[in-house]
Amino acid sequence: MFQVTRNINKCLSTTTLKYSSTMPRASEIDTEKDDFKPLNLRQVKGHQFVKRPMRKMEVLTPRTEQMPVDQDWGSVWPGPRSFQPNTVPLPVRQGYVKKGAAVPHKYGNAELMKIPNFLHLTPPVIKRQCEALKKFCTPWPKALDTDEKCQEHFPIEVATSSYCHSSPSIRDPLSRIVTVNIKLSSLKLDKHAKDKFLRLVGERYDENTDIVTITTDRCPTRKQNYDYAMYLVTALYHESWIVEEWEKLKSEADMEYYDWNKSKSKTSIEEMFGKKSNEVPHIEQYSNALNNLMNDGENEYNIAKYGDAVRKLLQLPQLSEISK
Amino acid sequence: MLKSVSSIHTGICSKLIRTLSTALNVHPPEKLDNFRCYESNPVNHTIHNVAQFYSLPPEDKALLFRHGGLPKTFETQCKTFNETCIMIRKPALDVINSLKNIDYSKPPCKFVLYGVKGSGRSLSLAHILHFGYKSGYLLVHVPWVGDWMRRCKESSTSVMEKDYIDLNIDAAMWLTHFKKQNEHLLVNKELKLCQEYVWNKRESTNKGAPLTELIDFGINRIKYASYCVVVLAEEIKQLSKAGVCKTLVAIDGYNAFFYPQTRIFKEKKEVVHPSKVTLTKAFLNLSYFNWNNAAIVLTVDEIAIGQDDYPSNLPRYLLDKEGFEHLDPFVPIPVENYSSKEFLSCMEYYKERKWIQYYPGMEEELAFISNSNPYKLLELSASL
Repeated sequence: MFQVTRNINKCLSTTTLKYSSTMPRASEIDTEKDDFKPLNLRQVKGHQFVKRPMRKMEVLTPRTEQMPVDQDWGSVWPGPRSFQPNTVPLPVRQGYVKKGAAVPHKYGNAELMKIPNFLHLTPPVIKRQCEALKKFCTPWPKALDTDEKCQEHFPIEVATSSYCHSSPSIRDPLSRIVTVNIKLSSLKLDKHAKDKFLRLVGERYDENTDIVTITTDRCPTRKQNYDYAMYLVTALYHESWIVEEWEKLKSEADMEYYDWNKSKSKTSIEEMFGKKSNEVPHIEQYSNALNNLMNDGENEYNIAKYGDAVRKLLQLPQLSEISK
Repeated sequence: MLKSVSSIHTGICSKLIRTLSTALNVHPPEKLDNFRCYESNPVNHTIHNVAQFYSLPPEDKALLFRHGGLPKTFETQCKTFNETCIMIRKPALDVINSLKNIDYSKPPCKFVLYGVKGSGRSLSLAHILHFGYKSGYLLVHVPWVGDWMRRCKESSTSVMEKDYIDLNIDAAMWLTHFKKQNEHLLVNKELKLCQEYVWNKRESTNKGAPLTELIDFGINRIKYASYCVVVLAEEIKQLSKAGVCKTLVAIDGYNAFFYPQTRIFKEKKEVVHPSKVTLTKAFLNLSYFNWNNAAIVLTVDEIAIGQDDYPSNLPRYLLDKEGFEHLDPFVPIPVENYSSKEFLSCMEYYKERKWIQYYPGMEEELAFISNSNPYKLLELSASL
């Protein structure tokens, strides 16, 4: 019994569903009262838009073609700017050359836009700017006519950067950085002081140019950084002259280079020959060879030189003498 | 009669040809007339024998190298060839020449053989050792220090010296080796101890006892063998100083005495530094300069220290600062790969031994592949 009712229910539900699907909507019934209309699934007709013809933009001829030959280039290109093909009247070409093709032209050329250009710094523009700045300059001291004299009288070189922006802030954080260059030979240092100075400055010293570079950027203003740099130079100089008590304990292992006169080799040579090392014949060549071997690193050449020196020292026959 | 006529005829012919020859300054390619040197006594080898092979007499070999001294691969090859032939090369001749000309009243000269792997340092040392044997030196020869520092048979704390480690079996083996090598010299009555050594309550070696007694004691009482070596080293120094004997110290793989990473362990598995090994003490003492009437020939070898990689094979690197200072001043002697002359001589020898089957262009090919390295050549020619 129960099963029968459930079946009836099922039937009913299906029929209602069917009915609802076929029933037309109320609005449709209103419009299509008098006229039989074909089924229009896509609704193409009805609201049809009339396509407005596209208004064509008038393409101007490039500005380069309208430029007079004797124009003032400094006013056309006043400041640094990325490349503009329509502003630069030059047939510039750059970029990857495909096989059989020409070098890409300047229009829409990303390669040209990427690289920095100096079109704002043409010689006449530089000349004009220098002329404009001249009234702010003082004449160069006549006595300082050579670079050597400049270096002698002004051993400290201070470098800072100033920045100019068209932004609300007139300050740039990079302008606080101060770089001080000093030639080491201009400082009065003895052997110990120089060694200590170099250890203190570490990698700030360039061996090839003999220049110590100190860069300060820890304080907020340029003035403070400059003062700090000057303080550092003073402190380094005086500190390197101080000989601490523990520095006397420096042993051979702490030496930065091999010194034969302080080495164990010298004592053993003196013990071997039973006299002062400078009285031993051929000692000069031997000590030089050993110094080279230890300081320049070991290689076939240095080892061979050392061998020759030892043979001379011990009066052994040289290699070439075997045949005799 | 007929014979003499014909000989005259040929004589004239050859003379005629020589005078009438139109070719001027014909330089035949440098080739050895003979790759063998029939002089088996290294004392008589000269620069003209370079690149020739001389045969080490079996009785000498049995005496010198019974307990090691020749590389293992070389031994195998010798067994195959049924003779022990060593090439006479420049480094060995150089040392031998120097040994002949040294002023023995001065502190000992030190020679350090160095070179790339397989270039023939050990064989050059063997040649020098043979020379030493033939010219009556007392030989103090260590076949391979690496055996002590890297694969010692047994180790124990020393009874005689505090904080030291003894390599008992190795020391006793070395004493046997020493005894064997110097059999003929140890009969000399003058070789006697200049000090009394008390080993324990019951055992002691008297002053004036022959050197053999000390050696035999070391061999029999293995516990004291290491210290015996130390004592022996000191006694040899004293005897040499007194002029009783002339000593040749030859140590292969000497740099192992200074490389901190040994494979000798204490009871708690701590690595023993070589300076804490009794045997090291003995041989460092022998290689020091404070005696005379001796010469020292050493080799430095990267294999002796067993590093993972070998950045350099030069003596300063291998000996380290400590070792370099200990030896300084020494004569570094480079042992290089074969020169073209030596290489061709070696190929001739291999051909004669029917070790390789010849085909044209073989020399160039092998020289290129092996880079004229003696050991590489030995390896490569094994399959040819």
